[in-house]
Parts: sequence; C-alpha cells; structure tokens
Amino acid sequence: MTPATLLCILFTAGTLFYVFYLPGVLQLGPRKTRLAFLLERKEAVYENLRDLNFEYKAGKFPAADYQAMKTSLEEEAASLLAEIAKLEQAAQLASSRVNPQTNPQPKKGASI
Amino acid sequence: MAQLGSFALMLALALSAYSFVFGLVALVQKGRGTERLAETARRAGIATFAAVLLAALVLAVAAFQNDFSIAYIYHHTNRDLLWPYKLAALWSGQEGSLLFWSLLLAAYGLVLRLRHKTDQRLFAHASVVIAGIQIFFLLLLNFAARPFGLMQGAMPTDGAGLNPLLQYPEMVIHPPMLYLGYVGFSVPFAFALSALVMRYPGEKWIHITRRWTMVTWAFLTCGVFLGMHWAYAVLGWGGYWGWDPVESASLMPWLTGTAFLHSVMMQEKRGMLKTWNVWLIFITFMLTIFGTDLTRSGMINSVHAFAQSSIGGWFHSFLLIIFVVCLVAYLKNSSFLRSEHKLESLVSREASFLFNNLLLLVACFTVLWGTLFPILSEWVQGHKITVGAPFFNRVNVPIALLLLLLTAVGPLLAWRRTSTESIKRNFKWPALFAVLAGVFLVATPRSWGGPFGMRPWTDISYFYSLMAVMLAVLVAATVISEFVRGGRVISRHTGQNLLASMVHLGHRNTRRYGGYIVHFGVIIVIIGFAGSAFNQDKEQEMTFGDQMTIGAYTLKCESFTQDDNPNYASEWAVMDVFKNGAQIATVYPERRFYKASQQTSTIVANRSTLKEDLYLVYEGQSQTTGHPIIKAHLNPLVMWIWIGAWIMLAGTILALVPNAVPVRAAAQVPVRDAVTVGAGD
Amino acid sequence: MSQKAPIRIFLQCGLVLAAIFVFLGAGDQNARFESLGHKMMCACGCNQILLECNHVGCPLSDGMRNDLASYVQRGDSDSLIIQAFVQKFGPTVLLAPTTTGFNRVAWIMPFLVLILGLGSVYLIVRSWKKRPEPALADGVPHAQGSELDQYSNQVRKETEL
Repeated sequence: MTPATLLCILFTAGTLFYVFYLPGVLQLGPRKTRLAFLLERKEAVYENLRDLNFEYKAGKFPAADYQAMKTSLEEEAASLLAEIAKLEQAAQLASSRVNPQTNPQPKKGASI
Repeated sequence: MAQLGSFALMLALALSAYSFVFGLVALVQKGRGTERLAETARRAGIATFAAVLLAALVLAVAAFQNDFSIAYIYHHTNRDLLWPYKLAALWSGQEGSLLFWSLLLAAYGLVLRLRHKTDQRLFAHASVVIAGIQIFFLLLLNFAARPFGLMQGAMPTDGAGLNPLLQYPEMVIHPPMLYLGYVGFSVPFAFALSALVMRYPGEKWIHITRRWTMVTWAFLTCGVFLGMHWAYAVLGWGGYWGWDPVESASLMPWLTGTAFLHSVMMQEKRGMLKTWNVWLIFITFMLTIFGTDLTRSGMINSVHAFAQSSIGGWFHSFLLIIFVVCLVAYLKNSSFLRSEHKLESLVSREASFLFNNLLLLVACFTVLWGTLFPILSEWVQGHKITVGAPFFNRVNVPIALLLLLLTAVGPLLAWRRTSTESIKRNFKWPALFAVLAGVFLVATPRSWGGPFGMRPWTDISYFYSLMAVMLAVLVAATVISEFVRGGRVISRHTGQNLLASMVHLGHRNTRRYGGYIVHFGVIIVIIGFAGSAFNQDKEQEMTFGDQMTIGAYTLKCESFTQDDNPNYASEWAVMDVFKNGAQIATVYPERRFYKASQQTSTIVANRSTLKEDLYLVYEGQSQTTGHPIIKAHLNPLVMWIWIGAWIMLAGTILALVPNAVPVRAAAQVPVRDAVTVGAGD
Repeated sequence: MSQKAPIRIFLQCGLVLAAIFVFLGAGDQNARFESLGHKMMCACGCNQILLECNHVGCPLSDGMRNDLASYVQRGDSDSLIIQAFVQKFGPTVLLAPTTTGFNRVAWIMPFLVLILGLGSVYLIVRSWKKRPEPALADGVPHAQGSELDQYSNQVRKETEL
C-alpha cells in the first residue's frame, strides 16, 4: 500500500465519520412564523418613516409632500401593528391555556 | 501525488452529489426523521470543501515540487518560476481555474452551511442549490478538464513555463478577486431560487443575502479594476480597456449585479419589483457562467483567453439546465411575487430605480450584443466581422452618461412622488456647480494641457468628456449636499461640529452613505475615463542623447542595455525625463523575452501624476539601426481611475459595517419561536 | 415629465455635434493616417488595433502600416483605402461593423433596445399607477377607524427622531 492510498483511505474515513456520526439531539433554529414576518415588515416601514423624518428635517422635501408621504406610511405601519397585536393576543391566549403564569410580553418602542 | 488529487476530486463529487440528492429528499419529504437526513446532507456539503481543498493543495504542492509528470504543471510552470507565480499557476490554465472556481464555491458553501441556524429551511434549500452547481464543476473536473492528467512518456526535465503576460504581481491577485466575484453570485442566486421555490414570506432573504451580494460585488469590482490596471501596466498599448471578450465577460455580470444591488432596495423598502429582482439575480448568475463559457470554450477569439478547449458543450448544457430550472420555479410560484404597492409617479425614487435598472441592462445587452455579433454575422452573412472598441465606445458612452445623470438625480427624489418644488429645491445648487465646471473647462487656456481649454464642438469625444465631467460634478455636488444636510440635522441634535456629525451620519446609516461614497468613487473613475479623449502618443527611434518632446515633457535617452537571467532575457533603455528644463525623473522602459515559453513581454515605465501619466514603452530594436524604438503615451487623468476604484472599495466596506445606532425595536423583539400561526413556513 | 427635458436637450446637442464632427472631415494626411489606422486592426491575429500593435517581429503590422501610409500619401479616399484593406485581409480587418447591409443591425439594435426599454418602463409605470392599491404584505387588511388612529399614534411616537 502506497502512502497516497493510505492517505486516501484515511481522508475518506474521516469524511464519512464527520458526515454520518450525529450523536445526541440536533440543534435546530426557530421556524419562521407569520408573526416574525410581520415584525420584519413593520421594521422596514418604521425604517422608511424614520428616513422620511430625517430627510424632511434635512430640508429635502416641502411640508406638503412630507405630510402626504408620512400619513400613508403611518397607515401602513398601523395596519401591520393591528395585525401583529391580533396574532400576539391569539398566541398569548394559546400559551396561557397551557401555562397560566406566562407574563404578557412588555411592548417596547423604538426611537432614535 | 496525482492519484491523491484525482481521488479527492472524485470524493468531492460523491459528497456534493450526496448533499444535493439527500438534501433535496429531506426537503421534499418534510416528514419526521428528515432532520437527520438534512443534517447529513449539510455536513456532506461541508466535507465537499475539505475534499476540494485537498485537491487544490495537491496541485499547489505539485507546482512547488516541479512535478512535471502532471500535464497541467508541465504546461503552466517551469523550474525557475518565482514562487508567487507557481501559486498563480493554480488559476492560469483551464483545469486549474475550474478547480479554483470549485474551491471558491465550496468555500462560500462552507460559510453558508455553517451559518445555517439563521434560518434552517431557507439555508437548507440554498445549500442544495449550491451543491447542484458544485456537481457541475466537479463533473467537469473529473471527466472533461482533469487537472491531474498525466504526461505521456518520460517525465520532462523542465516545464513549458507560465505565460509571461501573467508574470506580474497583480496577476497573482486579479484572478482570485474576479473569481470570488463570479462565484459569489452563486450565493444570492441560491437564496433567490430557494425563496421562490419555498414561497418564503417576506424580504428576509434579501436582508440575509445583502452582505453576500455586496461582498461579491466588491470582489468583482476589484477584479475588474485590477484587470484594467494589469492591462495598462503589462500589455503596453497605452490603454486599460480594450473591450476584449474576457473584459466584457467580467463587465456583464458587474452591470446586472449593480442593477440588482439597486433594485433590491425597492423590494426591501417597498415590497415591489419582486419578479424583476428574482430574474435579475438569475440573469447575473447565468452571465457569470456564460462569461466563463464564452472565454473558455473558444467561441470567441480573445487576447487573453489563456485557456481554450472543447468544454463548451458542458457549459451550454449547464446554462440550459439553469434556465429551465429558473423558468419552472418562476412559473410555478409567480403568484407569490405580487407587488405590495403601486407606483405613484414617474418622478419618484421608485421610477428612478426602474430607469437605473433599464440603463444598466441596456449597457449589458450592448456588451453582449457586440460580443456575439461576430457569430451572428457569420450565420447571416457567411463571414465573421470584428466588433471592437470603437463600436462599444460609441454605443455605451451615451448610455453611461444617462446613467450618470440618474446617479445625480435618483438619490434626491423622494419615494412615491416628488413635487416640482422639491426638485427645484434640491437641484438648484448642484446644477449651478455643474454648469460652472463646464464653463471653467472651456474657458481655461489650452496650454494647461489635458482637458483644460477643451473645445467640445470640434470632436464628439471632447463633447462626451465635457458632459462626463459636468455630470460628475453634478453627482459630487448632490452627494456632498446629502452629507452636509444630513450632518446639519445630527449637529442640531447633538451639538457636534459639522464634520463630526457627518461621520456620525455615515455610521448611522452605513448602507446609504457608503453607497453615496461608492457613487463618489464612480464619478472619480468617470473623470479618469473622460481624460482618455485627450491622450497623445509619439513613437521614435532613440539612441544615446536623442530627445523626444511630448506635452510638457522632454525625454532624453541616456543609454540602452541588456541583461540575462535564468527566467528571461531583457533589454531596456535609461531615459531622463525633463519638465520645464529641470530633470524630474529617470525611467527604464523594458522588454523581456521569457525563455521557457519563448514569448516576449513589455515592462512599461509609467510616471503617474494626478494630472497625467507619462507612459513609456520599449517597443523593440530597429531592424536597420539596432537602436531602441520608444513609444511615449501622455494619458491625462488615468490616476483618477485607480483612486476612484479605492474610493468605491472604501464605500462598499463602509456599507458592510453594521449601523452604529442599532434599531432598538429589532433588537428587543423577543423571538417567539413557539408561535406558529398561519402559513408562516 | 420634467426628467425628460434635459435628456432631450442632451440628445439634440449630441446629434448636432456629431453632425458637425462628420462634416468637418479629416484634416491633414497625418490625422487621416491616425484615424484610419485606429479603425483597423492588425491582421496577424494579435487582436490589437493596427497602430497600437506592439509586438516585436509582427509579420504583418509594419507592412500594413506602410501600405496605409502610401495610400494616404497617394490621396486615395478613406472609403477606397478601407476597401483595399478589406479586399486584402477580409472584413475582420475593420474594428467596427460598417454601416451598410446587415452590419447596420449591429448599430441599430442597442438603441432600439434602449428606446423600447424606455417605452416599456414608461408604460409599466403608467399601468402601475392605475392599478388599485394592492393589499398590504401577505394579505394584511388595512386598519380602519379608531384602531387606525390608536396605532398611528403609536407609530408616530415610535418613529420620531
């Protein structure tokens, strides 16, 4: 047996061991929920709103433009918040049935 | 050695096939127990990296050990080659560069698979796509372009040597950069395809791939600019871009990739252009494969298609498969890509992104069209024609100027709609600056040289240069005004001075302000390009004491001489450079003859300043007199291109840094992993 | 709409200047040599522009340059010289497609695509403007009445600078 052949065999054995030896429980990340998706979306709209506020303060838009854009973005964010609140309520209801001690999640805002 | 390498490649193929097939099975079945199967598939993907790395290491070691029994090592190295170039041999030929490609893909795959906890299912899908691409390259390496093929007969005593054009420091880093760029687009492609196939809700996949795309884009940009610099410094024809098919092949995915970087912002911020973005990244990925196909398969002649062979069929089939997969995935899931907003006005940030994308794609089409037209001509007219630089310049310069105009206009438009008043408010000053810059360039005396005192009505290229500079000033003014106005808001809040506030501003929204810095780099590059309209050159036979005048410079030949070393023989001239009567430098234009490969190459003497490059080429010796022939080029503003490229890179790096003021809400929202409501998967 | 005005002016300027440039014609012999020499490539297979072909011992470029110089000196017209080269070295000697016959397609196509693209973007924008406001992300209903006010206030508070 040449050293090269030996190396080939060792390397293959190591690889197979790594791929197929899975002791214990697998560490899996969270599954994506509709709630997570809505929170992502909310964050994007919030980001747009903050950008808008910032650009307005920097003097990029006339007041009328700003008001119109702000109102429509706020509406969008509000709709998302309403939906998020509904989902959270439903989830809390579900979890309080299982575990009545669960505290409600504190709502935390964001500002810069 | 060769045996070990071949085995590693075969093992890598088996592993990636396992990763692909069982990864797919685990995704399709979805049932209990598939998690373990998925995990083995993921690990097989990781192990693929180890196997490919082993193969690459074997090839590198063989190069360092001068193992000429391996045909690839024989053809691309020789004993006297310097060590960095022995390493570069890994990517200077076809088989090696395919192996290198596969290695980089495996490395990207490794990072992706190690970060799988971010979003298990999405990453599992992406991992399968990457494994599928990897299978193609490993099939090539195992059956069509084998890097460990052996030489027939006795082992040669020395190799055929590396192409001398490649024996240049930048050549050691240029191909890896370019390949990192090419290969990197596989990752956003894999995520886009995955998100489409699994109907992934939301734009999180864009958020995840954003950094990947930017890093990839940065590598590709570096690769393109290094290639330009290499062409400028080594090919010795006085220019940096000749619209060679290889150059075009790197430009096309850059253009569509740039378009993608812009248009994903529409999707992230407004949930629009979903279909378009998915196709844009599909096309970008296909262009990276197509570019390789174009230059490797010998379909098109090129100065630096260093490796050609008959693997075209493989590439064509692979491209077809990708296209069909993308099309089917799209048709099955197109309903999922509905837009969340309507477009309200032609004068809005959204519309400016649409036009930006259109122009980038038209530019890409033009390059593709010009590159393929010779083939089309052969079909239709029965003979090939040449489509060279004059065509590309004439067609692309107007498009580039329009794009530059959008670069200035776009960032100042508001999302949704922009009123006329707002436009006036934002453009008054920048436009004034642009006009002043134009007037200044026309009014200055011509004796200042370069672009000063230009007469735009005498030549279309002067006109284009003037437009380019004016638009560049327009962009610069808008970028600066963005920084200043943003800085003022911060300074009002925090009481910092304006400069500190502007730095703060950059940290606060790195992507936006990094993007502006990239734009600023682009205009510096454009100013450099604009200088090319004022290039001059002069050729002269020069012996001891002869003089030549070009622009403000006088060159005096002091001596010429020859040298010899094991790798190459060289001739060079010693020239003193005078400006305004004073000697400012001594330069040594040189020409080398590489012994192993029997090829010559030019070492340009380039004296570069912000204003202009004095670029001297030793053309050879006159056949009648034996005196050296020197060609002098005076190229204004070339240094701006390299400076601009550095600024672009700096901007990209800033854009990659996380925002300094984290959005608190995102950090504080607890992960509610227990809650699965609705069709959230 | 205001975006289009500068583009139109710019295109007009470009056309006018291009016309001036074409009618000015080439000046002295040296300029003609330079300009013709940059329209052709070296036929040896090095893929370089004729006047920029710089490899020593090129079998063709010196001869081609001499031919070109003598034709120019003889006072042949540009088209005649180009014809002579095409006859001798084939159509690939020209760096860019001619503006006759099928080769015209090469020039027209990019601009056609640009114009079609601009047109379709315009049409797309117009049709997108007309379409009804789509549902929000993933079918979230629009908030109404007091709910809207309550949450709008929250949003405002949370996004103030």
